[in-house]
Amino acid sequence: MSLRSLMFGWEYPPLHLGGLGVACQGLVQGLIKNGVQITLVLPHPVPTESEDLAILSPTEKHVERIRVQSMLSPYEGSEGYAMRTVRMSKELQQIYGADLPEAVAHFTAMSVDMTQDTNPDIVHCHDWMTYGAGMAAARYHDKPLVTHIHATELDRTHFHPNEWIYRMERKGFQAADRIIAVSNYTKNLLTEHYGIPAQKISVVHNAIQPITAQDREPPIQAISSAPKPPMVLFLGRLTIQKGPIQFLEMAAAVHRFRPDVTFVIAGEGNMMAEVINRACAMGLQDCILFTGKVANREADKLYSQAACFVMPSLSEPFGLVALEAMAHGTPVIISKQSGASEVVRHGFAIDFWDTEKMADCVLTILREQPLAQQLRSEAPRSLQHLTWMKQASQVRSIYQSLLS
Amino acid sequence: MTPQHMPLICLYFQVHQPYRLRDIRITEIGQGKPEYFDAEKNRAIFRKVAEKCYLPANALIEELLRTYPNFSVAYSLSGVFLEQCKEYGPDVLSSFQRLAQTGKVEFLAETYYHSLSSLKSLEEFTEQVHIHAQRIEELFGQRPTVFRNTELIYSNELSQIARLMGFRGILAEGADHLLNGRSPNVPFTPPTFTLPKEIGRVIHQQRQGGKTPEQITVLLKNYRLSDDVAFRFSDRSWVGFPLTSDRFTDWLVQSGGHSINLFMDYETFGEHQWEDTGIFSFLRSLPELWEKRGIRAATPSQVIDLWKEEETPVYDAHHAISWADMERDLSAWQENAIQRSALESLFSLEKAVKERGDSNLLDLWRLLQTSDHFYYMCTKYWSDGDVHKYFSPYDSPYEAYRRFSHALCDLKQRLETPKEKKPARGLLSLLNLTFKQKS
Repeated sequence: MSLRSLMFGWEYPPLHLGGLGVACQGLVQGLIKNGVQITLVLPHPVPTESEDLAILSPTEKHVERIRVQSMLSPYEGSEGYAMRTVRMSKELQQIYGADLPEAVAHFTAMSVDMTQDTNPDIVHCHDWMTYGAGMAAARYHDKPLVTHIHATELDRTHFHPNEWIYRMERKGFQAADRIIAVSNYTKNLLTEHYGIPAQKISVVHNAIQPITAQDREPPIQAISSAPKPPMVLFLGRLTIQKGPIQFLEMAAAVHRFRPDVTFVIAGEGNMMAEVINRACAMGLQDCILFTGKVANREADKLYSQAACFVMPSLSEPFGLVALEAMAHGTPVIISKQSGASEVVRHGFAIDFWDTEKMADCVLTILREQPLAQQLRSEAPRSLQHLTWMKQASQVRSIYQSLLS
Repeated sequence: MTPQHMPLICLYFQVHQPYRLRDIRITEIGQGKPEYFDAEKNRAIFRKVAEKCYLPANALIEELLRTYPNFSVAYSLSGVFLEQCKEYGPDVLSSFQRLAQTGKVEFLAETYYHSLSSLKSLEEFTEQVHIHAQRIEELFGQRPTVFRNTELIYSNELSQIARLMGFRGILAEGADHLLNGRSPNVPFTPPTFTLPKEIGRVIHQQRQGGKTPEQITVLLKNYRLSDDVAFRFSDRSWVGFPLTSDRFTDWLVQSGGHSINLFMDYETFGEHQWEDTGIFSFLRSLPELWEKRGIRAATPSQVIDLWKEEETPVYDAHHAISWADMERDLSAWQENAIQRSALESLFSLEKAVKERGDSNLLDLWRLLQTSDHFYYMCTKYWSDGDVHKYFSPYDSPYEAYRRFSHALCDLKQRLETPKEKKPARGLLSLLNLTFKQKS
């Protein structure tokens, strides 16, 4: 029997590095390979971009995509949304509503309208903004609901949530027949802070797309005769969740010991100005480079050139960037407060507040060649078993358990 | 079966605790004298194991030795364990001394620092064995005559070295690939060959004294029966569960041969197998049962003494074996790049450490040789997520390496700094330095 999943997602293919879009794409492709038929319903942030998404690989022909006009953007809370609507034309604002609750309600209503003719076995939705749509569709079709949680409001705000979003999340969790969390870290957070019974939550870790030889840039030492100073990389949104300030503290500790080390902070976000100011105040202006937002190709290059990658997130449900860095053969130091630390074996996991120890790990990797080399060779190999094919088969089993 | 045909039971227990490393930071390197070891953690673990295993197990063994005339056991106590007894457990040490006083306990020789020195430096290896033998004699009033190397690491060459050092017996793993279907329950001998002259010269300096034995006897661990107790005793999914002393004794008798060598970590009793698994009552009931069935226990020396056959089969280990893992090789300590580099870097300091003549630095260098430091860096099963396979006090193998490499860096720096001479100040110390450089 072939399974039909009605899925409410964010973006396809992914517009952002790491994160939800990449995970959804991987999961969708993995489910298709596992014989699941998917109808994917997508909100779309910028209407004019919708035409670009026609590029599909042949294996994706099963994906029947329905686009829903919406202004929602996955990484923004109501504050960011208000800023965005102000910049929109009056006309558009009238269509979509000026505030986030209204926009979500609109998305929910339209999504149900558009999926009336589908005949799903299961409804599966990703993160809070689709939970309303998922709940409505599951009710309408009278099918089991799976809510997938990639990041909670508590992660994004370091436990100072927007109450409305928090409630939307909890409603979604409560309505679900099954919750899929991307890590045990997230599962624990749901039981502790949302009051969800543990037996209702399954953990399916994210996987990583295999890196092709072209993606892997040769290490910088190989193409330059003069040894370049070692570089330590941060890649992620500059928001409180990702710990850019912790990165600076780590950098300052490394700098005191090894002034030749450079640091690259790649990404943008609402803390950009603060992070730059703090870096200068700490006297790091000559050794830190801010790249702003980077495209995939640039990120590949940065991973390959980095002596190590540091992910000091305060609360990270998973942290796909760490796995991407590892896949490029970059030694990683990640926050213990992350889902990735459950699957990263060849690397260091440190409490996000212990920036001195993080610095110590960086300095050890820089000093100890055998250590750096072993991490470079073992880490990518250790990721080989973490495929979307395998992870999606777990999701398929969850579907089946709900249907039997 | 008549009692004459009953196999001897040779029990040997390994007793060892490493000095676990502290969370040393790079900023401490070369800044005075940072503490390398985590005294608090080492004390806590030692006391925990003392209460759960060493003290109750020793009390039980003492009672059994005094009650049953045909019961005896052998121990190998590592030097670093004895050091920790001094610091954290004089009660544990005196309980072992009481066991020695029964006259029915044999103490074996090993490298004092429970080290991998046999793989790296013959000179260091023989020195450590010598220090250990002396210490055992001081504490327990007997000079060991049987040797067991760290983690039962063994090879043809090592066994000849042990013979030249004056040992008449050596313990090894009964590895299937070397036994080729033969039973491990008889004494073996290594193939005879002549070691290079230099080896003889180095060994001569650390000889045990007395005559060099013509032969050395290899006693092989019966790993199936040993592991039934050490690993499987409380495993509910195992077909042998629950293991009774009756059934186990049946298996011993069925296994037959000259002696069944049950070698295991002493921590099996109370620490690996908790008291509530019934491990102590199991141990308690064995000697009585053996007495009834005409089975006697024997120490390794007695097993060798009682072997009267003309022909002793040859155990041929060209490559080093050990008692670790399924592989029974050195891979638990020397499989990956960081393990090899750590051991290599450590032994590259040997000359400098010994020339320095500073007993404190020599001791630190030797404490870093303990095999556990390298075991904690093992990544063999790490990728599979089988974390529990390797018990470690640290978060990861890489954390083990980080701490170790910091300690080593600090030691290196201390060896490079000019030697302090207390009375020599000013001009005199300068003169001293120039003199040293010239020489």
